Amino acid sequence: MKNLNASSLKRWGSLVALYAIVTVMTGPPGNQSAPTLGFTSSFSESVSFFGLFPAPRGLFFAVLFLIIGGGLALYRRTALKRVLSGARTAVAPRYAALTQRKATRGVFYAIVILVAIFLPHLVTDPFWQSAMVSQIAIYVLLAIGLNVVVGFAGLLDLGFVAFYAIGAYTTAWVTGALPAAAPFHHAINPFWAIPIAIVFVMIAGVVLGLPTLRLRGDYLAIVTLGFGEIVTIFLNNLYGVTGGSTGSNQIPHFSIHLGPLKYLWGLDPVPYYYLTLGFVVVFLVIFSALEHSRVGRSWVAIREDEIAAESVGINPLKYKVIAFAIGAASAGFAGVITGGQSLFINPATFTLSFSINILVLVIFGGMGSIIGVVVGSLIIQSVSMYLIHTPPAGFQNSDLYIYLGALLIAMMIFRPAGIWPSKRRRREIKFVATGEELDQINGTSDVNGEPV
Amino acid sequence: MTSPLFEVQNVTLRFGGVVSLNNVSMHQNRGEILAVIGPNGAGKTSLFNSLTGVYAPQEGSITFNGEHGALSVIGKKPYRVNAAGVARTFQASRMFSAMTAFENVKIGAESHKGLGVVGAMLRGPSTRRHERETDERAWSLLRFVGLEQQANTLSASLNYGARRRLEIARGLATSPSVLLLDEPAAGTNPAEKNELTTLIRRVRDEMGVSILLIEHDMKLVMSLAERLYVLNFGSVIAEGTPDEIRSNPAVIEAYLGSTDTGTAQGGL
Repeated sequence: MKNLNASSLKRWGSLVALYAIVTVMTGPPGNQSAPTLGFTSSFSESVSFFGLFPAPRGLFFAVLFLIIGGGLALYRRTALKRVLSGARTAVAPRYAALTQRKATRGVFYAIVILVAIFLPHLVTDPFWQSAMVSQIAIYVLLAIGLNVVVGFAGLLDLGFVAFYAIGAYTTAWVTGALPAAAPFHHAINPFWAIPIAIVFVMIAGVVLGLPTLRLRGDYLAIVTLGFGEIVTIFLNNLYGVTGGSTGSNQIPHFSIHLGPLKYLWGLDPVPYYYLTLGFVVVFLVIFSALEHSRVGRSWVAIREDEIAAESVGINPLKYKVIAFAIGAASAGFAGVITGGQSLFINPATFTLSFSINILVLVIFGGMGSIIGVVVGSLIIQSVSMYLIHTPPAGFQNSDLYIYLGALLIAMMIFRPAGIWPSKRRRREIKFVATGEELDQINGTSDVNGEPV
Repeated sequence: MTSPLFEVQNVTLRFGGVVSLNNVSMHQNRGEILAVIGPNGAGKTSLFNSLTGVYAPQEGSITFNGEHGALSVIGKKPYRVNAAGVARTFQASRMFSAMTAFENVKIGAESHKGLGVVGAMLRGPSTRRHERETDERAWSLLRFVGLEQQANTLSASLNYGARRRLEIARGLATSPSVLLLDEPAAGTNPAEKNELTTLIRRVRDEMGVSILLIEHDMKLVMSLAERLYVLNFGSVIAEGTPDEIRSNPAVIEAYLGSTDTGTAQGGL
């Protein structure tokens, strides 16, 4: 019990520190004559208290952090209690895989998809309709793709944006929107660039993966970070091929001309929303099937213990490269949509901070949990867009990442597995939380000093 | 069957200036329960790692004559060696701790069944049939090692003896010709030790899988092994049946120094 108090004290202490940092960093600046003014006025300056009445900033943020921290702590407490009481019940002898599916889930998904289909009719604000495609659906696609690499296969990829860039530039290339001539001097419509870009990006994944995936952990992260930078630098400097820093602004809109079937996507974002939504669903179905298949289990095995995985006949390099290529595919598709919808791409979009932004969505949602990553992306991107579109008094756009960073740190303190962890992860957390007790019940004998 | 299952000839393994295995030659016959014993640091685990492709010895040759023909092990990756029919367990058991006991075995049963990424994405009929087959195989192996009650338990929460048995089931799931056991009884209590002895014998008798084991527990080794090799400082110092090894003066010296042979014989 004493330990529990000490650790929760530490958690709350970190939250207080975080509160002070956020309050000061987003507060007014000081000046030369009064250097401490920036610090003190960060707490004393009057702001609107959730639009109700004016209150000092210090109080406002204290309440905000108490709500977030208290909510997370409350969740933690109740979840733990549920787990502790459940641990005493005997394990059911029948087989139920951690990845088993249920019929109720199907109903749940059907409702979610129906809501998603009717959403553009409920949200008619042009800002939001556009944001739903370019800031939310695209980010969901990127996050579920990165989740395959980071969450399923356990490979920390800090250069994921490179695949997104390759997808977008492939689109520009095959539609003849780059200084480099389109393949066979025959420009095609971005719609038909989708399969081409996906194949290109998957090849890029294999090309990057084969030499680098022999590395592990931090080394892999650094190499992928380098890969992301290399791609951006190439895009910037190959002026005659990629258009340099100005990029391309001549990508045509999507269109289909297949016999009687004719459709043209225009400036209206809603048709793009449906196109993207359709592909998000396809990718979700494919990724979820993979997770519950042999391939997914092999990823888990490699993530857990690569040496043991090899000893049961799994080729780690092969499965890691597959993860890279498959994860990249959704990023490639996102690149095509970005090119086709915004008609404009340049290298400034594809930066390291973009990669990290996607990684934040994955970590926030719950690494390895498809639903978690989707929900996490929806929450973070919607809140960010809301703050940018209708900023509350005292909010500056440049502060957004301070708030997101603080939120991520609070998550790591109170709920490190993400807001919606995968079943497998939940089970592990449950075991860690109750492990001591289980050992006592089983009376294990692994205290016999085993040679290492 | 004239050719032995494993043929190790003049193998030398070095790590920088340290000679871990020095000119080791040995062989294992088909269907044999063979044991490798020796003091700590004698090179037993290095030998296992060389036999399974984890280490690549600088000199000598290792030939494995499995069901799919002869395989020269040195320079092959562990998953290739496993595909040829060599399964193993680890000294400090290595489970996939986020998986249930059942999934641990299943992953062994399905690892060699073609890749099928596309099949996995589409979940076609053949994929589903494979799933059923591997499920059944995993079940039968869990029953074989007596863990069907714990099938749905997270492998990390199994007790030590159960983890040992699970590791054996996972190895057997890959359909091996030989199972290499690295100190299977380490850290188990006497009752679990007896169960393990029976289980290992059943693996050989009922499944026809040869056994190669490293073990410190002399009682277990002497009751189980049909033939033994004794390693000391990376070299084979003796070979023979348990009775021959028990009375071999070189072995007694290696284990307990040159004095006090009475206790040594008692211990062996």
